Amino acid sequence: MSTINFAAREINFKIVYYGPGMSGKTTNLKWVFQQIPQNRKGEMVSLATEDERTLFFDFLPVDLGEVKGFKTRFHLYTVPGQVFYNASRKLILRGVDGIVFVADSAPNRLRANAESMRNLRENLAEYGIKLEDIPIVLQANKRDTPDALPVEMIQAVIDPEKRFPIFEAVATTGMGVFETLKAVSREVLSRVASS
Amino acid sequence: MVEPAVALFGEAYEKAARVLEELLRESGARYTLLLDRKGFVLVHKEALWAPKPPALDSLATLIAGNAAATQALARMLGEPRFNELLHQGSTHGLYVEEVGELALLVIVFDSSAPVGRVKLYGKRAAQALEGITQEAVVSPGTLGIDSEYREGASALLDELFGN
Repeated sequence: MSTINFAAREINFKIVYYGPGMSGKTTNLKWVFQQIPQNRKGEMVSLATEDERTLFFDFLPVDLGEVKGFKTRFHLYTVPGQVFYNASRKLILRGVDGIVFVADSAPNRLRANAESMRNLRENLAEYGIKLEDIPIVLQANKRDTPDALPVEMIQAVIDPEKRFPIFEAVATTGMGVFETLKAVSREVLSRVASS
Repeated sequence: MVEPAVALFGEAYEKAARVLEELLRESGARYTLLLDRKGFVLVHKEALWAPKPPALDSLATLIAGNAAATQALARMLGEPRFNELLHQGSTHGLYVEEVGELALLVIVFDSSAPVGRVKLYGKRAAQALEGITQEAVVSPGTLGIDSEYREGASALLDELFGN
Protein backbone atom coordinates (compact mmCIF):
# COMPACT_ATOMS: atom_id res chain seq x y z
CA MET A 1 0.00 0.00 0.00
CA SER A 2 1.30 3.44 -0.90
CA THR A 3 2.47 5.64 1.94
CA ILE A 4 1.25 9.19 2.25
CA ASN A 5 3.20 11.59 4.41
CA PHE A 6 0.84 14.53 4.78
CA ALA A 7 3.28 16.50 6.88
CA ALA A 8 6.01 16.35 4.26
CA ARG A 9 3.32 16.32 1.55
CA GLU A 10 4.69 13.19 -0.08
CA ILE A 11 3.10 10.16 -1.68
CA ASN A 12 5.34 7.14 -2.07
CA PHE A 13 4.82 4.02 -4.13
CA LYS A 14 6.82 0.80 -4.02
CA ILE A 15 7.58 -1.00 -7.27
CA VAL A 16 9.43 -4.32 -7.24
CA TYR A 17 11.34 -5.86 -10.15
CA TYR A 18 10.90 -9.63 -9.94
CA GLY A 19 12.14 -12.49 -12.11
CA PRO A 20 14.69 -15.28 -12.40
CA GLY A 21 18.38 -14.84 -11.67
CA MET A 22 20.39 -12.94 -14.32
CA SER A 23 17.27 -11.82 -16.21
CA GLY A 24 18.30 -8.15 -15.99
CA LYS A 25 16.42 -6.67 -13.03
CA THR A 26 19.42 -4.76 -11.69
CA THR A 27 20.34 -3.70 -15.24
CA ASN A 28 16.88 -2.12 -15.57
CA LEU A 29 17.45 -0.10 -12.41
CA LYS A 30 20.96 0.89 -13.45
CA TRP A 31 19.66 2.22 -16.73
CA VAL A 32 16.98 4.27 -15.00
CA PHE A 33 19.60 5.58 -12.59
CA GLN A 34 21.94 6.59 -15.44
CA GLN A 35 19.32 8.28 -17.56
CA ILE A 36 17.16 10.36 -15.27
CA PRO A 37 18.34 13.80 -14.18
CA GLN A 38 20.25 14.18 -10.94
CA ASN A 39 17.50 16.22 -9.28
CA ARG A 40 14.91 13.49 -9.92
CA LYS A 41 16.69 10.58 -8.25
CA GLY A 42 18.21 9.61 -4.93
CA GLU A 43 21.13 7.34 -4.19
CA MET A 44 21.07 3.86 -5.68
CA VAL A 45 21.72 1.25 -3.02
CA SER A 46 22.87 -2.23 -4.08
CA LEU A 47 23.29 -5.09 -1.67
CA ALA A 48 25.19 -7.45 -3.93
CA THR A 49 27.87 -10.12 -3.75
CA GLU A 50 31.39 -9.46 -5.05
CA ASP A 51 30.45 -10.82 -8.46
CA GLU A 52 27.55 -8.33 -8.64
CA ARG A 53 24.75 -10.80 -7.99
CA THR A 54 21.98 -9.21 -5.95
CA LEU A 55 22.15 -10.55 -2.41
CA PHE A 56 19.23 -8.77 -0.74
CA PHE A 57 17.94 -5.97 -2.95
CA ASP A 58 18.77 -2.92 -5.07
CA PHE A 59 16.94 0.29 -4.30
CA LEU A 60 16.45 3.49 -6.28
CA PRO A 61 14.13 6.36 -5.31
CA VAL A 62 12.74 8.31 -8.28
CA ASP A 63 11.05 11.70 -7.84
CA LEU A 64 8.20 12.15 -10.25
CA GLY A 65 7.54 15.74 -9.23
CA GLU A 66 4.69 17.54 -7.52
CA VAL A 67 1.06 16.67 -8.16
CA LYS A 68 -1.74 18.57 -6.43
CA GLY A 69 0.74 19.81 -3.85
CA PHE A 70 2.12 16.34 -3.12
CA LYS A 71 5.64 15.27 -4.01
CA THR A 72 5.21 11.91 -5.72
CA ARG A 73 7.96 9.37 -5.45
CA PHE A 74 8.47 5.85 -6.72
CA HIS A 75 10.73 3.55 -4.75
CA LEU A 76 12.14 0.94 -7.12
CA TYR A 77 13.42 -2.34 -5.73
CA THR A 78 14.85 -5.49 -7.25
CA VAL A 79 14.78 -8.88 -5.57
CA PRO A 80 17.60 -11.44 -5.71
CA GLY A 81 16.62 -13.81 -8.52
CA GLN A 82 18.57 -16.86 -7.50
CA VAL A 83 16.31 -19.64 -6.25
CA PHE A 84 17.94 -20.04 -2.82
CA TYR A 85 17.34 -16.40 -1.82
CA ASN A 86 13.61 -16.86 -1.46
CA ALA A 87 13.48 -15.68 2.16
CA SER A 88 14.87 -12.30 1.05
CA ARG A 89 12.51 -12.08 -1.93
CA LYS A 90 9.53 -12.55 0.33
CA LEU A 91 10.61 -9.68 2.59
CA ILE A 92 11.03 -7.24 -0.29
CA LEU A 93 7.45 -7.86 -1.43
CA ARG A 94 6.00 -6.41 1.76
CA GLY A 95 3.87 -3.38 0.99
CA VAL A 96 4.44 -3.63 -2.79
CA ASP A 97 2.24 -1.43 -5.02
CA GLY A 98 3.30 -2.76 -8.43
CA ILE A 99 5.49 -5.45 -9.97
CA VAL A 100 7.66 -5.62 -13.08
CA PHE A 101 8.33 -9.25 -13.94
CA VAL A 102 11.57 -9.41 -15.93
CA ALA A 103 11.72 -12.58 -18.01
CA ASP A 104 14.81 -13.83 -19.82
CA SER A 105 14.34 -14.44 -23.57
CA ALA A 106 17.01 -17.15 -23.82
CA PRO A 107 15.55 -20.61 -24.61
CA ASN A 108 17.40 -22.27 -21.73
CA ARG A 109 15.77 -19.85 -19.25
CA LEU A 110 12.17 -20.58 -20.15
CA ARG A 111 11.71 -22.95 -17.24
CA ALA A 112 13.40 -20.49 -14.86
CA ASN A 113 10.91 -17.82 -15.97
CA ALA A 114 7.99 -20.12 -15.24
CA GLU A 115 9.38 -21.13 -11.85
CA SER A 116 9.98 -17.53 -10.88
CA MET A 117 6.39 -16.59 -11.76
CA ARG A 118 5.12 -19.49 -9.68
CA ASN A 119 7.38 -18.35 -6.85
CA LEU A 120 5.99 -14.81 -7.14
CA ARG A 121 2.44 -16.15 -6.87
CA GLU A 122 3.35 -18.19 -3.78
CA ASN A 123 5.18 -15.34 -2.07
CA LEU A 124 2.35 -12.87 -2.71
CA ALA A 125 -0.10 -15.42 -1.33
CA GLU A 126 1.78 -15.32 1.96
CA TYR A 127 0.78 -11.65 2.22
CA GLY A 128 -2.78 -12.54 1.24
CA ILE A 129 -2.38 -11.03 -2.24
CA LYS A 130 -3.39 -12.68 -5.50
CA LEU A 131 -1.67 -11.89 -8.80
CA GLU A 132 -4.81 -10.13 -10.04
CA ASP A 133 -4.91 -7.90 -6.93
CA ILE A 134 -1.80 -6.00 -7.93
CA PRO A 135 -0.60 -4.18 -11.06
CA ILE A 136 1.87 -6.40 -12.91
CA VAL A 137 3.75 -5.62 -16.10
CA LEU A 138 5.84 -8.22 -17.90
CA GLN A 139 9.11 -7.51 -19.63
CA ALA A 140 10.70 -9.94 -22.11
CA ASN A 141 14.30 -8.86 -21.68
CA LYS A 142 17.45 -9.72 -23.65
CA ARG A 143 15.70 -9.51 -27.00
CA ASP A 144 19.17 -9.16 -28.55
CA THR A 145 20.00 -12.76 -27.65
CA PRO A 146 20.65 -14.46 -31.05
CA ASP A 147 18.23 -17.32 -30.38
CA ALA A 148 15.72 -15.29 -28.37
CA LEU A 149 12.39 -17.06 -28.04
CA PRO A 150 9.30 -15.43 -29.56
CA VAL A 151 7.58 -13.15 -27.03
CA GLU A 152 4.36 -15.16 -27.47
CA MET A 153 6.13 -18.28 -26.28
CA ILE A 154 7.47 -16.57 -23.17
CA GLN A 155 4.06 -15.10 -22.43
CA ALA A 156 2.41 -18.49 -22.92
CA VAL A 157 4.57 -19.83 -20.12
CA ILE A 158 4.45 -17.00 -17.58
CA ASP A 159 1.02 -15.56 -18.36
CA PRO A 160 -1.01 -18.03 -20.45
CA GLU A 161 -4.22 -16.07 -19.88
CA LYS A 162 -2.59 -12.87 -21.21
CA ARG A 163 -3.73 -10.85 -18.22
CA PHE A 164 -0.72 -8.54 -18.09
CA PRO A 165 0.85 -6.19 -20.64
CA ILE A 166 4.20 -7.33 -21.97
CA PHE A 167 7.10 -5.21 -23.26
CA GLU A 168 10.17 -6.25 -25.21
CA ALA A 169 13.45 -4.96 -23.84
CA VAL A 170 17.21 -4.92 -24.08
CA ALA A 171 17.98 -3.44 -20.69
CA THR A 172 21.70 -3.08 -21.40
CA THR A 173 20.92 -0.51 -24.12
CA GLY A 174 17.82 0.89 -22.43
CA MET A 175 15.38 -0.41 -25.02
CA GLY A 176 11.99 -0.91 -23.36
CA VAL A 177 13.20 0.05 -19.88
CA PHE A 178 11.34 3.34 -19.52
CA GLU A 179 8.30 1.97 -21.36
CA THR A 180 8.00 -0.85 -18.84
CA LEU A 181 8.47 1.44 -15.84
CA LYS A 182 5.99 3.93 -17.20
CA ALA A 183 3.39 1.24 -17.78
CA VAL A 184 3.60 -0.18 -14.27
CA SER A 185 3.62 3.31 -12.73
CA ARG A 186 0.45 4.21 -14.66
CA GLU A 187 -1.27 1.04 -13.50
CA VAL A 188 -0.26 1.70 -9.91
CA LEU A 189 -1.63 5.25 -10.05
CA SER A 190 -4.82 4.12 -11.68
CA ARG A 191 -5.35 1.33 -9.14
CA VAL A 192 -4.79 3.66 -6.18
CA ALA A 193 -7.03 6.36 -7.60
CA SER A 194 -9.87 3.92 -8.09
CA SER A 195 -9.57 2.21 -4.69
CA MET B 1 -2.64 -3.22 -1.64
CA VAL B 2 -4.18 -4.99 1.24
CA GLU B 3 -1.84 -3.78 3.92
CA PRO B 4 -3.07 -0.83 5.96
CA ALA B 5 -1.05 2.36 5.74
CA VAL B 6 0.05 4.74 8.45
CA ALA B 7 -0.88 8.29 7.46
CA LEU B 8 0.43 10.75 10.01
CA PHE B 9 -0.94 14.24 9.73
CA GLY B 10 -2.39 17.02 11.83
CA GLU B 11 -2.39 16.36 15.55
CA ALA B 12 -1.03 12.81 15.27
CA TYR B 13 1.96 14.07 13.29
CA GLU B 14 2.60 16.86 15.80
CA LYS B 15 2.41 14.40 18.67
CA ALA B 16 4.86 12.00 17.00
CA ALA B 17 7.22 14.89 16.18
CA ARG B 18 7.14 16.00 19.83
CA VAL B 19 7.99 12.47 21.01
CA LEU B 20 10.97 12.35 18.62
CA GLU B 21 12.17 15.80 19.72
CA GLU B 22 11.96 14.87 23.36
CA LEU B 23 13.82 11.65 22.62
CA LEU B 24 16.60 13.60 20.90
CA ARG B 25 16.94 15.88 23.89
CA GLU B 26 16.84 13.16 26.54
CA SER B 27 19.06 10.63 24.80
CA GLY B 28 21.60 13.03 23.30
CA ALA B 29 21.21 11.30 19.92
CA ARG B 30 21.86 12.90 16.51
CA TYR B 31 18.77 11.85 14.58
CA THR B 32 15.50 10.12 15.35
CA LEU B 33 13.16 8.70 12.71
CA LEU B 34 9.79 7.01 12.65
CA LEU B 35 9.49 4.68 9.65
CA ASP B 36 6.80 2.40 8.40
CA ARG B 37 7.79 -1.25 7.91
CA LYS B 38 8.04 -0.75 4.17
CA GLY B 39 10.93 1.66 4.64
CA PHE B 40 9.20 5.02 4.17
CA VAL B 41 10.00 7.87 6.53
CA LEU B 42 6.94 9.11 8.44
CA VAL B 43 8.62 11.70 10.70
CA HIS B 44 12.22 12.59 11.40
CA LYS B 45 14.03 15.00 13.68
CA GLU B 46 17.66 16.11 13.79
CA ALA B 47 19.59 17.57 16.72
CA LEU B 48 20.56 21.19 16.03
CA TRP B 49 24.22 20.43 16.58
CA ALA B 50 24.29 17.31 14.36
CA PRO B 51 25.86 17.35 10.89
CA LYS B 52 23.65 16.80 7.85
CA PRO B 53 22.27 13.24 7.94
CA PRO B 54 22.91 10.70 5.18
CA ALA B 55 20.19 10.17 2.53
CA LEU B 56 17.12 9.36 4.63
CA ASP B 57 15.44 7.29 1.90
CA SER B 58 18.40 4.94 1.70
CA LEU B 59 18.78 4.81 5.47
CA ALA B 60 15.10 3.98 5.93
CA THR B 61 15.09 1.31 3.23
CA LEU B 62 18.13 -0.46 4.63
CA ILE B 63 16.82 -0.33 8.19
CA ALA B 64 13.41 -1.69 7.18
CA GLY B 65 15.11 -4.49 5.21
CA ASN B 66 17.39 -5.25 8.12
CA ALA B 67 14.49 -5.27 10.59
CA ALA B 68 12.45 -7.55 8.33
CA ALA B 69 15.38 -9.96 7.99
CA THR B 70 15.89 -9.92 11.77
CA GLN B 71 12.24 -10.79 12.38
CA ALA B 72 12.46 -13.63 9.87
CA LEU B 73 15.51 -14.92 11.76
CA ALA B 74 13.64 -14.70 15.07
CA ARG B 75 10.78 -16.78 13.70
CA MET B 76 13.22 -19.37 12.34
CA LEU B 77 14.67 -19.69 15.84
CA GLY B 78 11.23 -20.10 17.38
CA GLU B 79 11.00 -16.59 18.83
CA PRO B 80 7.92 -14.49 18.05
CA ARG B 81 10.21 -11.48 17.59
CA PHE B 82 13.48 -9.82 18.48
CA ASN B 83 12.43 -6.52 19.97
CA GLU B 84 15.40 -4.35 19.19
CA LEU B 85 18.36 -3.97 16.87
CA LEU B 86 21.60 -2.36 17.93
CA HIS B 87 24.67 -1.63 15.80
CA GLN B 88 27.70 0.06 17.32
CA GLY B 89 30.88 1.20 15.63
CA SER B 90 33.79 3.13 17.08
CA THR B 91 31.99 6.48 16.88
CA HIS B 92 28.46 5.89 15.57
CA GLY B 93 25.59 3.73 16.69
CA LEU B 94 22.17 2.81 15.43
CA TYR B 95 19.31 1.63 17.59
CA VAL B 96 16.02 0.33 16.20
CA GLU B 97 12.94 -0.45 18.26
CA GLU B 98 9.66 -1.88 17.01
CA VAL B 99 6.63 0.40 17.20
CA GLY B 100 3.76 -2.06 17.08
CA GLU B 101 3.19 -4.04 13.89
CA LEU B 102 3.50 -1.24 11.39
CA ALA B 103 6.35 1.08 12.32
CA LEU B 104 9.95 1.31 13.51
CA LEU B 105 11.71 3.85 15.68
CA VAL B 106 15.30 4.60 14.67
CA ILE B 107 17.88 6.43 16.77
CA VAL B 108 21.24 7.38 15.29
CA PHE B 109 23.72 8.39 17.97
CA ASP B 110 27.44 8.97 18.45
CA SER B 111 29.92 8.27 21.23
CA SER B 112 28.67 11.28 23.24
CA ALA B 113 25.38 9.46 23.95
CA PRO B 114 25.65 6.42 26.25
CA VAL B 115 23.94 3.42 24.68
CA GLY B 116 22.10 2.64 27.93
CA ARG B 117 20.46 6.06 27.84
CA VAL B 118 19.57 5.68 24.16
CA LYS B 119 17.90 2.33 24.83
CA LEU B 120 16.05 3.51 27.93
CA TYR B 121 14.54 6.58 26.28
CA GLY B 122 14.12 4.71 23.00
CA LYS B 123 11.88 2.12 24.64
CA ARG B 124 9.79 4.82 26.32
CA ALA B 125 9.41 6.71 23.07
CA ALA B 126 8.44 3.53 21.19
CA GLN B 127 5.63 2.93 23.66
CA ALA B 128 4.33 6.47 23.24
CA LEU B 129 4.57 6.22 19.44
CA GLU B 130 2.71 2.92 19.30
CA GLY B 131 -0.56 4.51 20.37
CA ILE B 132 -0.08 7.42 17.99
CA THR B 133 0.61 5.21 14.97
CA GLN B 134 -2.28 2.89 15.75
CA GLU B 135 -4.64 5.84 15.62
CA ALA B 136 -3.11 6.91 12.30
CA VAL B 137 -3.78 3.65 10.47
CA VAL B 138 -5.99 4.21 7.45
CA SER B 139 -7.56 1.87 4.96
CA PRO B 140 -6.58 2.22 1.29
CA GLY B 141 -9.92 3.78 0.36
CA THR B 142 -9.49 6.83 2.56
CA LEU B 143 -6.19 8.11 1.23
CA GLY B 144 -7.78 10.77 -0.92
CA ILE B 145 -6.01 10.00 -4.19
CA ASP B 146 -8.43 10.91 -6.95
CA SER B 147 -8.48 10.77 -10.72
CA GLU B 148 -7.29 14.38 -10.96
CA TYR B 149 -4.18 13.36 -9.06
CA ARG B 150 -3.74 10.35 -11.33
CA GLU B 151 -3.91 12.47 -14.47
CA GLY B 152 -1.40 14.96 -13.10
CA ALA B 153 0.99 12.19 -12.14
CA SER B 154 0.52 10.53 -15.51
CA ALA B 155 1.57 13.74 -17.31
CA LEU B 156 4.70 13.86 -15.18
CA LEU B 157 5.48 10.27 -16.13
CA ASP B 158 5.47 11.33 -19.80
CA GLU B 159 7.73 14.25 -19.01
CA LEU B 160 10.26 12.12 -17.11
CA PHE B 161 10.27 8.95 -19.21
CA GLY B 162 9.26 10.35 -22.60
CA ASN B 163 6.08 9.77 -24.60
